[in-house]
Amino acid sequence: MTQRTYGEGETVDFVIVGSGAAGGVLAKELATAGFSVVVLEAGPWQQPSQFTHDELAVERENAMLNLAFEPIQTIRGSEAEPARRNAGRALAYRRGVGGSSVHFAANYWRFRPVDFKERSKWGPISGSGFADWPLTYEELEPYYTKVDWEIGVSGAPGPFDPPRSRAYPLPPLPNKSSGVLLERAARALGLHAQPSPLAILSKQYDGRSPCLACGHCSLYGCEFGAKSSTLATVIPKAVATGKCEVRAESTAFRVETNTKGRATGVMYWDREGKERRQRARAVIVAANGAETTRLLLLSASSAFPQGLANSSGNVGRYIMFNGHASTFGRFDHPLNEYKGPVASRTVHDFYDADAKRGFYGGGGIDARFNYQPIGFALGVLPDDVPTWGPEYKRALADYFTHSVRFYAHITSLPVASNTVTLDHDHPDRWGRPGLCLTYTDHPDDMKAKQWFRDRTEELMHAAGATRVWTQPILPIDGGVHLLGTARMGDDPRESVVDRYHRAHDVPNLFICDGSNFVTSGRGQPTMTIQALAFRAAEHIGRLARSHEI
Amino acid sequence: MLEIPWLAALASCRRDDETNADGFAALTPAEVKSMRAFAAQIIPSDKSLPGADEADAVHFIDRAFGKPFFADIVPVVRAGLANLDARARALGERDFASLSSGRQVAIMRQVERTPFFLAARMLVVVGTFADSAYGGNKRGAGWTIVGCEHEPTYASPFGWYDAHEEADTKHDA
Repeated sequence: MTQRTYGEGETVDFVIVGSGAAGGVLAKELATAGFSVVVLEAGPWQQPSQFTHDELAVERENAMLNLAFEPIQTIRGSEAEPARRNAGRALAYRRGVGGSSVHFAANYWRFRPVDFKERSKWGPISGSGFADWPLTYEELEPYYTKVDWEIGVSGAPGPFDPPRSRAYPLPPLPNKSSGVLLERAARALGLHAQPSPLAILSKQYDGRSPCLACGHCSLYGCEFGAKSSTLATVIPKAVATGKCEVRAESTAFRVETNTKGRATGVMYWDREGKERRQRARAVIVAANGAETTRLLLLSASSAFPQGLANSSGNVGRYIMFNGHASTFGRFDHPLNEYKGPVASRTVHDFYDADAKRGFYGGGGIDARFNYQPIGFALGVLPDDVPTWGPEYKRALADYFTHSVRFYAHITSLPVASNTVTLDHDHPDRWGRPGLCLTYTDHPDDMKAKQWFRDRTEELMHAAGATRVWTQPILPIDGGVHLLGTARMGDDPRESVVDRYHRAHDVPNLFICDGSNFVTSGRGQPTMTIQALAFRAAEHIGRLARSHEI
Repeated sequence: MLEIPWLAALASCRRDDETNADGFAALTPAEVKSMRAFAAQIIPSDKSLPGADEADAVHFIDRAFGKPFFADIVPVVRAGLANLDARARALGERDFASLSSGRQVAIMRQVERTPFFLAARMLVVVGTFADSAYGGNKRGAGWTIVGCEHEPTYASPFGWYDAHEEADTKHDA
């Protein structure tokens, strides 16, 4: 598709930094509304035909992420500790058009009314910045529905679902053996397993192919376009308006401001490393909780000495990843979980936090075995299985097709000392400071993981597994959900953006991505990121038309 | 009809049986011999299923030795293989591969906590299961071992339990 391009020196209505779950939606909505839009995307514009099932490249070399780790990331438990180089994934995200919506697993849980007002319901939690959102589920519901229909979500209502104004556009994907076993377990324990809503097409929709069950959703790109990434959905529509240019391999490094304290555009490096400027009447940062933080902090100036939009000091604070806990089980008959989408059923009976548990925390449990052979053979078998020799071989031959994991996705509390900060000791190839993650689980988060692991273990026994095993509960040392680092709120002293994603400090700067989350939800944030983006686009468009930006 | 530009993608990620090089680029003949014997003990062959030997994991390792992401462990593996041979010579045999299977296993148990063993075992496993384009997993031996059909797409039902789901859920009111 050829796209409209804007010349050097042209001032556009909006420059959007990032083309992921939020940036793609904002680009499509604002361009469709008639605004001129340039999207700056650090990574390449890959086509679905470039995506492979090559486990070694994708899972071991992180080929899909396009050098997300080029800037060395460091990690520490607290400010008092020295930062150490992180060998694995601390702040993990994909660079490339479509962002992490290209390689995610596409679980599309809505938040529920309680998620937005849980601080009021539960009360304060010591050692946390637990707070209400400045909006309600009811306000966001029309935009959840918009995501369902514009992006393409397959699902069916469950017993605890929040109210919805319109049915799912697509029926659920086929149930898997893991889903049948989770249903069986849930029934036995008086619980409920419901179809997992997925941003994956169960039928042809909007000119796109249905899922062909290749089994490579999580971490891989969909070569069929059946996964509803922004690359496959809204970005082509944004470009088709003739008002939007998506500029790939363009790394934003500073939001520029003038003496009136207004944003004037974004400085970036093009693919040759040449410094360039995109002027705009308004700037939208949608670069994810890690890169949004870096860009705002690097945009410090004499007028904004703590970093742009950071008079509250909360840019980079309160990062949340969502906790996880699980139990593995082996069954007599083959499940073949390597086929089809990641998960087909979810238990939501434990969504709400419950004071009787003795801690704050809630979550959902799905059933999956999203391992490809290398990852499986290197790290999944029970501890008492030898790691080589005939018994190892027998286990490889048996467990790959016969195993499942019941996997809990859990709340993380916002903690002020859990931060993303600039690491001046580890600059990237451009000379920009790297990122340092400082993180220690809130005690309630550790208790929640333990409690949820016990529930997954009960479910696994109830499902009739012939062998049940677990892995240790570990502290969080990073993750793929990068939430909370530019939180939303009414009070400029406590939050970075207002309820319409406008920076409290800069009238024509908007921030819209997972960084705006006030609380973490139960572990599947993308649906809410996109509902927020649709809502933000509507309000930003309204403000622009009425000259309020 | 749907446009299907992805057929090309399926072809490009399909298993390629013809990628095995005839020779070895990095490993010496002695190292190939020892590594083969070592690999055959990590994932042994048996009557019903292939092992690391049929997967030709050693060819993967030979190629991996030239890849930057394995650079750190090449000297460790080299020294470890030489050490296996030295231990065999101490037992009066020519090299590790010439030992009986039982004596090979006994030597491997002596070194199974060493960095060499952990690295070499990891290479054998990855070589057995990584895409054939990397030189191992010959004729899809790795996928055969774990029971993965390795097709580009699948159709429901996927497993035994979803195939029998209806009978299972009919009990539900």
